[in-house]
This record gives sequence, C-alpha cells and structure tokens, in this order.
Amino acid sequence: MIGKKEWFKRRKYAGWGLMPATWQGWVYTLIMISPLVVMSLTQVNEIILGAIVVWFVIFSVDMADIMIHVPKDERDSLHEAIAERNALWVILAVLATGVAFELAQNVAQGKEAFVDPVIIIAIIAGLIAKAATNYWLDKNN
Amino acid sequence: MKTNISELRKKFGITQEELAEKAGVTRQTIISLEAGRYNPSLLLAHKISMVLKQKHIEDVFVIK
Repeated sequence: MIGKKEWFKRRKYAGWGLMPATWQGWVYTLIMISPLVVMSLTQVNEIILGAIVVWFVIFSVDMADIMIHVPKDERDSLHEAIAERNALWVILAVLATGVAFELAQNVAQGKEAFVDPVIIIAIIAGLIAKAATNYWLDKNN
Repeated sequence: MKTNISELRKKFGITQEELAEKAGVTRQTIISLEAGRYNPSLLLAHKISMVLKQKHIEDVFVIK
C-alpha cells in the first residue's frame, strides 16, 4: 500500500472520509488529485485517460484500505456510529419527503406517478446493508 | 460515572498523553473520562486500571 494510516484522521465536521493529519497526508492527497488538474488544464487522449482511470482505481483502493485502518479508539467509534446514524436518518427523511412531494405534485397535475428508480434502489441497498450488518453482529458480537 | 484517573495519574506522574498511549486511546478520550462524560468499556476500564497500577477497577471508576 502507498499511504499510511497515521497520515490521516477521520473527517468529523466536513463530510465523510479522511482528512490529512500530517504533511505527508497533504502530499498524498495532492498527488492523488493531481490527474484532475492535468485533465482540466490539458486535452487528454484515450491513453492518458486510461492511465488516469488506473491511477484513480489504485488510489481508491489505497484510500479504502487507509479508511478501514485509520486509528480509532472506542469513543471515536461510538461517536462515528451515532453521527452516521443521525446523518442517515436526515438523508432518509429528506428523500422520503422529496419523493412524497414529487408524487403528490405529479398526481395533482394529472401526470404519471413516477419515482426515480435510483432512489428506490438506494433505499433497498441500504436495507440490505442494515440487515446484513445486524445479522453479522448478532452472530459475532 | 466518577473516576479517580486524574488523582492517580498525578500520584504516579503520568501525563494524559502517556496514559492515552499506554491504554491505546486518544488524549481526548482520557479528558472525557476524567471529566466523567464518557463511560468506558470493561476492556478499557481494565487497561486504564492496569496502567494506573490498581488491582480493582472500582478503585479507578466509581459508579455514582
């Protein structure tokens, strides 16, 4: 693996994922996003585009590995779990309200009642992830 | 939960940072424990008691 877990810390107040905690972390992040700068400044051909895709796949796998192993004690884990749960509930509430509003609006305007399938798939995927997690936790914890 | 971590730490001349490192947690967790804001797991309570050379967990953590 390329990056080290000690270079990063859990992102608490500005989204999800990791945040650099040391200068090495900042260098790593800059190197990781440098292809985006190249893409925005120059015209890329298929070969360069392919190389950039490979670059992002490698760094995405590396980042995922760091995210799993970033140092967290039990208090951090508890705080993270509560914060993620609250974020999920807010996302679900906004999605459900939005879908209900759109459905009501469509029906009121005499249009076909339509819900974006991506939203339904996301909710079903979340449901499966929750069930699988609870199953695993019941068995192993 | 009330704790005697701060008093025991001072008695043995251990800083919050040192205790955190030995117990495998962050300094922030030690600060929260000392302030009685965080209830630790049994494992962490045991580790901290050992670092502070206490045989019994209840000598470090007192349920109010």
